[in-house]
Amino acid sequence: MSSPVDASTATPAVSEQVDSGLAIETTGLTKRFGARTALDGIDLRVPRGSAFGFLGPNGAGKTTIIRTLLGLTGANAGTMKILGRPVPLERGQALRRVGAIVEEPRFHPNLSGRENLRLVAAVRGPETRARIEPALARVGLSDRAENKVKSYSMGMRQRLGVARCLLADPLLLILDEPTNGLDPGGIQEFREMIRAMVEQEGRTVFISSHLLDEVEKTCDAAAIVDRGKVIVQGPIAELAQGGGVRNELILSVDDVELALTTLGASELVGDARRSDEGLRVELVGDPQTASEVNATLVRAGVGVMRLEPVRHSLEQRFLEVTSRLDAKPATETAKEVKT
Amino acid sequence: MSAVAPTVSAPSAPRQSGSWATVAAQMFGADFLKLRRKRGILIWALVLAFAPLVIYFVVSVIQHSSNPVKHGPAGGAKNFAEGLPVLALFFGPLAAILIGVEAGTGDASAGVFRDLVVTGRSRLALFASRVPAALALCCLVIGGAYALLVIGTFVFASNLPTPDAAVVLNSLGFALVATGALCVVAVGLAALTTSKPGAIIALIAWQVVASPIIAHISSLGSARELLLSQSLAHFSPVHVEGGHGATVVLSEGTALLALVAWLAVFLALGAWRTRTMDA
Repeated sequence: MSSPVDASTATPAVSEQVDSGLAIETTGLTKRFGARTALDGIDLRVPRGSAFGFLGPNGAGKTTIIRTLLGLTGANAGTMKILGRPVPLERGQALRRVGAIVEEPRFHPNLSGRENLRLVAAVRGPETRARIEPALARVGLSDRAENKVKSYSMGMRQRLGVARCLLADPLLLILDEPTNGLDPGGIQEFREMIRAMVEQEGRTVFISSHLLDEVEKTCDAAAIVDRGKVIVQGPIAELAQGGGVRNELILSVDDVELALTTLGASELVGDARRSDEGLRVELVGDPQTASEVNATLVRAGVGVMRLEPVRHSLEQRFLEVTSRLDAKPATETAKEVKT
Repeated sequence: MSAVAPTVSAPSAPRQSGSWATVAAQMFGADFLKLRRKRGILIWALVLAFAPLVIYFVVSVIQHSSNPVKHGPAGGAKNFAEGLPVLALFFGPLAAILIGVEAGTGDASAGVFRDLVVTGRSRLALFASRVPAALALCCLVIGGAYALLVIGTFVFASNLPTPDAAVVLNSLGFALVATGALCVVAVGLAALTTSKPGAIIALIAWQVVASPIIAHISSLGSARELLLSQSLAHFSPVHVEGGHGATVVLSEGTALLALVAWLAVFLALGAWRTRTMDA
């Protein structure tokens, strides 16, 4: 096993001074497996009370960072804090209010769902036992709680895994690929549950996933990781737009030349050019100025058949960031949108 | 998923964590639950503990009834002395090894060890709670088989003398210590290797095959005193001889020291591995 982080030098020893408003904070976190560097100086900041997506292609290091944070494996360098407490120095205290599913949720298959929760409740402490029934109810497994886990579907195991997390009454949930095995209805329910946890209950949810759509629909902020490095992190909208706020429109008009001339003279427009879809127009101001651009064109005698805001997707940004890595070393592309 | 929400208290809110004893008792209960619900292991442990004694009594009763002159009654002190090593030093340890190995590897092989680690509970505590749980189940199984031995000893004694109460109680203690020691060693070795088949094969091969052979190699001299099988056989309240037990003559202190050393070494190795391995 690799040597653990030297907690005495890596992190402040006084817990009171470290409650920084971040649920997870890592600095220079490095993990090596022999010659291979799985985590390469990860700096991650997860704000409290948010759903945070941790995106990356398979093998990017998503599960490794979760395992390192939770003390399942040691780090070679760097510092970590969970809920403001340095780990591994105060690991026990830090994890008391953390629920986690690492990789697929596993259980003793010969025990019932309720018994499996009892096992974890026993380890967490006497006060936890009272949370078993509410947790089962919350994930919709009360009726099947007496059945052995070996009879559960993958989706039910995922739900039971979430119930196991809830036993901690968690301030922070760490979920590794949580929608694996869920059907579309289950994914929708799961998404709603995560949003409720964040918005109504103030919990922080850290979701590791390679499903961009999932993260985009569920999370407030995200980090994109590849080859052991965090490439970008920040609010979803800013990530999708590549770091700056770009308001763009797609236009279909009857007179392209006149439209380009008119738009080129307008103070509302930063750039206008032809594209496969028609005219692509970048606005100088906020999205509401689109109506003024439309009025300007109409006044100039241009017929506007279509005016549509461009929606920047996280997928676009993800592919852009990760494919760029194929051409350049990761260090050249590392960029932090917002911490 | 319905909307029954556990409440979220403030991060700084005081939390009841229960006394150390309460937590330990709950963790013991949880580990005991895992073991007793492992039906395959439990059935095999019961078979290994009970079946040899049942066969022993059945065969002895048949022999006695078919030829009372040649074969004496199936019970009595003499048969008790023959049956005790079968339970305490041969088949009982096999049952204890199965239980101990399951306790030592159960969480890891089910893939739930990491889920226990992420609770923040110390890994040493997770390891420590397995030992009494395994011992408790082992004692129940061996205790039940011992009861069968005692019942058979008295029911089939006919006109033969029977062991007195002191021998019966001392023999119970001996059976529990002999099998319990193997059970604890099995917990430690299984946690060390994290391989159920590997630990079972290694322990059975050592205890049943290698140890008796080594015990008979007189050129090894006093080194044989370190054999666990020899130190355990030393504590038998009835005379033990033959392939099952006391080939080497030990002092009380040496036997006790060897026994404690075996337990300490394997517990330490199991605890070290549990504490340091990637979960």
